[in-house]
Amino acid sequence: MKFRAVREGLLLIALAALPAIGEGLYLRDKVSWQSSIPPSELVTVDQAKAWGDGTIWVDARSDEEFANDHVPGAFSLNEDHWNELLLQFLPNWSPDKKVVVYCSAESCNAARDVAKRLGDEARLKDIFILQGGWEEWVKKNRREVE
Amino acid sequence: MKIFWRILDVLVGGIFIYAGALKALDPVQFANMIDNYKTLPWFVGVRLAFYLPWLEIVCGLTVIFQFLYRGGLSILTALIAVFIGATVAAEMRGLDITCGCFGHASQHWSFPQHMVFDLAILIALVLLWSRPKLLHQRQAIHLHNDKKD
Repeated sequence: MKFRAVREGLLLIALAALPAIGEGLYLRDKVSWQSSIPPSELVTVDQAKAWGDGTIWVDARSDEEFANDHVPGAFSLNEDHWNELLLQFLPNWSPDKKVVVYCSAESCNAARDVAKRLGDEARLKDIFILQGGWEEWVKKNRREVE
Repeated sequence: MKIFWRILDVLVGGIFIYAGALKALDPVQFANMIDNYKTLPWFVGVRLAFYLPWLEIVCGLTVIFQFLYRGGLSILTALIAVFIGATVAAEMRGLDITCGCFGHASQHWSFPQHMVFDLAILIALVLLWSRPKLLHQRQAIHLHNDKKD
């Protein structure tokens, strides 16, 4: 009796995969499969650096991590002290500049959340998220120094 | 008594079909809801968001049409147990989440509302599991009474 339920369950698991794969294929171009951030909102370290002075770096990591090390010239803006840090950040923003938000790695949600709040609450435009996050920035910089 | 079990079958199966269909219509939104639990990496969550709604629909249909019935019940019981576990874990971690079980409809449900609803479904599933046993017991009582007479 128990084995029958297991057999049937396995069959159903396989059956459900068929429409799921079909829907996935149908929407494959509209979904960001590797990251919750759409590719159009991601920026690489090289691209962001190429913007030069037109880039405002925003560090979405914790105060401690920011104090430890950060991208030169970056502003700390995390959700722990949002109002206070946003007030410090806003006077440095101008419409011709691109905002690049990063957190510890591409998979962390802090950069996505901060970028979303900057767009929704502060109504800023041209907000990007650093692909690979702080780890990628460190990796690239180390390579350049070597 | 038979009608009671059929109604329970249709009710439980229907709930999962409805919940699955809402999520299958907008898998990206469901992926974001899974992501809010902060337990799975995005690339896993987004694939689950495409798969789980269809699993709910398929299993809901098996419960209604009583085809591969026990397999369907097993999976639905496992799913609801996972949903309850994930909701409790998120509450304990202080995450402000919407379970996403019923798409937009459940967006403003509180934690106790989620729990009551999920536990009610779990109880209904456990009842459906015990149906053959209960029927068997009833038949045995009838036989016993007939023999006495």
